[in-house]
Amino acid sequence: MTAADDIGIRAVQEFLGKDALPDRIRCGSNNEQYVLIEEPEFGTAVSHLAANKFVLISLFCCEDFSAKAAQTLFYVFERRTSILVLVRDINGRATTIAGIYPSASWFERECRDGFGIEFEGAFDTRRLFLHETYPEGFHPLKKSFRNAPIVTRDAVNPADEYPFREVKGEGVYQIPVGPVHAGIIEPGHFRFSVIGETIFNLECRMFYKHRGIEKLAEGKSPEDCIGISQEVSGDESVANATAFCMAVEQISHMPVPERAWYLRTILLELERVCSHLGDQAGMLVDVAFPLGASQFSVLREECFRENDRLTGSRFLRGMVSLGGMNRDLSRAQLDELDAFVHQLRNRYKIGLKIVLSTASVIDRFATTGVIRPALLRPLNITGPSARASGGKVDVRINHPYGIYDRFAPHLQRLRDGDVLSRFTIKASEIMDSLDLIERLIAAIPEGEIRVGAPICDGYTLTLVESARGQNLCWVWIRAGVIERYKVRTASFGNWLAIEHAVQGNIVPDFPVINKSMNLSYAGTDL
Amino acid sequence: MVNALTCLLKKKVTEDIPVQDDEVEAIGREIKTAIDGVFSRSLAIRELDTGSDNTTEIEINNLNNPFYDVERFGITFVASPRHADVLLVTGAVTHNMAIAARKTYDAMPSPKFVVAVGDDACTGGIFAGTYAVLGGADKIFPVDLKIPGNPPTPVQILAGLLVLMKKVQ
Repeated sequence: MTAADDIGIRAVQEFLGKDALPDRIRCGSNNEQYVLIEEPEFGTAVSHLAANKFVLISLFCCEDFSAKAAQTLFYVFERRTSILVLVRDINGRATTIAGIYPSASWFERECRDGFGIEFEGAFDTRRLFLHETYPEGFHPLKKSFRNAPIVTRDAVNPADEYPFREVKGEGVYQIPVGPVHAGIIEPGHFRFSVIGETIFNLECRMFYKHRGIEKLAEGKSPEDCIGISQEVSGDESVANATAFCMAVEQISHMPVPERAWYLRTILLELERVCSHLGDQAGMLVDVAFPLGASQFSVLREECFRENDRLTGSRFLRGMVSLGGMNRDLSRAQLDELDAFVHQLRNRYKIGLKIVLSTASVIDRFATTGVIRPALLRPLNITGPSARASGGKVDVRINHPYGIYDRFAPHLQRLRDGDVLSRFTIKASEIMDSLDLIERLIAAIPEGEIRVGAPICDGYTLTLVESARGQNLCWVWIRAGVIERYKVRTASFGNWLAIEHAVQGNIVPDFPVINKSMNLSYAGTDL
Repeated sequence: MVNALTCLLKKKVTEDIPVQDDEVEAIGREIKTAIDGVFSRSLAIRELDTGSDNTTEIEINNLNNPFYDVERFGITFVASPRHADVLLVTGAVTHNMAIAARKTYDAMPSPKFVVAVGDDACTGGIFAGTYAVLGGADKIFPVDLKIPGNPPTPVQILAGLLVLMKKVQ
């Protein structure tokens, strides 16, 4: 694609003028366009992009990126196949864009906690990933802070407690839930404002599991960082490791053998099948239908065991590496996987038939937890949740990586946006992934699985479609080590959707709505 | 009218168990004997995630799937720490979870036991010595047993619980 065809470049030309461009624009190795933006132009540029239906998919900060400023903000926009990155130099202060892009609010609060940047005009200035016990003025992502244990407060005064949005009125009461939940799940706090049984408002408070992933990666060699990328969110290990390795490979112009990409793609799709099976089982547990849930949880356990047989890890860890794969799969293993996929599909169909012919399940699923299509763009909702609400978003199709241009999945799409749609979309995606795995096994070429090459300096942005949606990764290598590793998983955007999806539903339906969206706490909290 | 004899004699509506894990069965039988003796047939477990990467939760959840189905051995996962004998802790203890984790432990009635599941909960794992975590679970409460692994498999977790039962006996 030439620059003139790129809708991102066209949009920039519209607000900056055609002459200004060449020296201020740089095309990244993943076809993302970096545009250096001056402060006076910034406001018009963002409004223009918003008017042209660009979605803000990430916003992050870097220190020492530009010689002219202390910090640099990267605003990553996406529309269809183009990615546009506005590069904005700042010195500790910036104007907010949360009024135009609501999803920017979490990103800006993240930059504020990490780097101490003040966003003028922001409607929400509460801390995000640093909770009350962290000391004031502590900004861990600053280069001046060396990663070491710090002292936090043991207790929080009632006056310093996190102020939740308050809904007042006759008959409105609050239900606080979490961070420790009743089930075996991750921690997060949900504050419901309820009238009778109906949810009037929900506010999610996350980041209880903030482990400092981004800071941990700094100064590490890219090789050591693969393990960190797998810890971001365990059931997306392959997706995050692939996104990270892809970034380093593109920066270093490292060739990846064809066979390695086939293997990676097989693992990526296996991971998706595992994740979706777990969701579907969980959704059925949440509507008290154990007969159906068992069907899927049995298949999922078999998937885990197949993963273990293939890779030695039930979560497919330790396979993806820089420049290819750590280990090959033998012909016998691939044939065995082929047979496994075949029988899995048949048994899955039986389970699905049981579920979809049970009226009580359909009754609970239909019209529950609707995500309106109008929310998709402002909140950057991606993955099966978006596709169940009519969204045409799938990284494998919009920004094909590896061999997905030749092995494109069928875009699954429904319009109702309720729990039933998400369940059905996931069912179609499982079938599609199983087909894809069979096609890949049939077509996989012989050859090398890894080619070594030296690490070069540079930066790039990569996108991968995990089971939950669009995972973004931005890597900057300086002097051979990681200078900045920014990771934004699909859940970061999708968490905002649940606050809207539950409105008007009854509190007992919250678990099934939550499960149908399959949000990762670890992947959000980092 | 339904004939009682027909009900008894007709073909049973059931399926064969797809996989019989001898290892799980053997550990399960031993655990059941121990639980019967020490905890009057029922061991109540509360799971607490203090900052894991979510794989350990998935594996603990898997203990309830039909392959393991640990409830038949007398193990139940309970919704409140007030009902629990054992706290299964997963993940390094983050600063953001420290207060909630302490409250959870304090809410448990004595005698209580804590088991750290996974490398991160045992030692802090790759997060040890960083700004965001305190370290392993033993930084905030006494830990009776550590089950290493990244993550440990359901069988390893079950085997760990058996070790705890023996220790308690």
